[in-house]
Amino acid sequence: MNAPLAPNALVAEMSPVSTSDQIATMKTALLKNIQRSAYVYRVDCGGCNGCEIEIFSSITPVFDAERFGIKVVASPRHADILLFTGAVTRSMRMPALRAYEAAPDPKIVVSYGACGCTGGIFHDLYCVWGGTDNIVPVDVYIPGCPPTPAATIHGFAVALGLLEQKLKAETHVEAAGEAAALPHPDIPYALRVRLEREARRMAGYRQGRTIVEEFMALLEGHARAPGALTLPDRMTAAVGAERDPRRAEIIGRLAEVVQRTIRGEAP
Amino acid sequence: MLKLLKEILRTGEATVKYPFAPMEVCKDFRGKPEHRAEDCIACAACTVACPANAIQMETDTAAGSRTWSINYGRCVFCGRCEESCPTGAIRLSADFELAVGSKADLTRKAVFTLAGCACCGKPFAPAKEVDYVARLLGQSARSAEEAERLRLTAATCPACKRAQDVQQIAGMGIARQMDAGHSESEHAVKERETTP
Repeated sequence: MNAPLAPNALVAEMSPVSTSDQIATMKTALLKNIQRSAYVYRVDCGGCNGCEIEIFSSITPVFDAERFGIKVVASPRHADILLFTGAVTRSMRMPALRAYEAAPDPKIVVSYGACGCTGGIFHDLYCVWGGTDNIVPVDVYIPGCPPTPAATIHGFAVALGLLEQKLKAETHVEAAGEAAALPHPDIPYALRVRLEREARRMAGYRQGRTIVEEFMALLEGHARAPGALTLPDRMTAAVGAERDPRRAEIIGRLAEVVQRTIRGEAP
Repeated sequence: MLKLLKEILRTGEATVKYPFAPMEVCKDFRGKPEHRAEDCIACAACTVACPANAIQMETDTAAGSRTWSINYGRCVFCGRCEESCPTGAIRLSADFELAVGSKADLTRKAVFTLAGCACCGKPFAPAKEVDYVARLLGQSARSAEEAERLRLTAATCPACKRAQDVQQIAGMGIARQMDAGHSESEHAVKERETTP
């Protein structure tokens, strides 16, 4: 009775809006000699409002995008730049298109945030159309989740042709004989794993890694040049020299791990 | 009026100099994930960890290559890739200037070659990963023979390992049965001998 439905039949294929050549030349002319303020209209296509907070913090006195004439306006009819934030959701697609149509030509479309660029973390949701470029032609992409106010200003500068983009597509091809270096070959693997685990448990992956790297450099230094001080003394000295009590605690624990491993006890 | 001017002078300028001067970011700022392909072993830990599927891997067994790619446009800068990376090849840098004009500039790729299985010769894992694991295991090996054995284990594909295991276990089973049969007959003989 119920015929099986092909999943593709449920997806509506919409043709993206295309711009004519005349508008393109008008846009380049606008970018070349923009002698006035650039008015920005913000179109929320269904984001989490993190991007909006960053946009408003970039027009606060600290970052002050208004010193470049970038001004957020309340109507798309006043806008030169349309700022699309958030992944294009099914229900916000039409309002977003209406805002695009309402803005006078030539207009610059900026896709803002990870969701605006590609759909971001919501890219495979049932109600998400994808990035802004699926519905309107986009001039500049500003990635970030959300982009910081400084990244926002950089993005506007790229959109207005004041700064060059820094990112370029790159492909690395593995060279012959390329090998990943083995970290700390002088330290036994079992001990290294124990130290890394303890440091990560105490301080998290980022600070933990920094601390354990410092600590292992200390151990390796001892292995290479065993001076007058014994290893336990050296570790005690390192704990004593540490001014941050939290780091001193962690380094003390790492020293304990080394002692226990030397004694052959379970960690 | 003078009071106001004094106040303004005292407060100074709050606005950052950013586009004209470099922006200072804090120590553990999570910016663009920087991938050092030289240190990467293409183990796919970051691919699994990435919540937004910004990092992806494609394995092409016909060409014998594995392509690692990151889409900065999809990245949510959570740092899970850095957390899961066993070699520290990916690290979130302080770079935040990611705006681009074309979407293609948001992707970065790295192509790695696949290593053939030591047993059947079919490509099964990136050559760099096999090499790294073999060296890591060899580091804690007690003798050169053990290191060589571990290297072979690392360079064998799971299917071949399974086949070898089955063979080994089957061989063990036959030996045990033979052993058991042998001891049983011995036992029977003994019993016969002792019974009056």
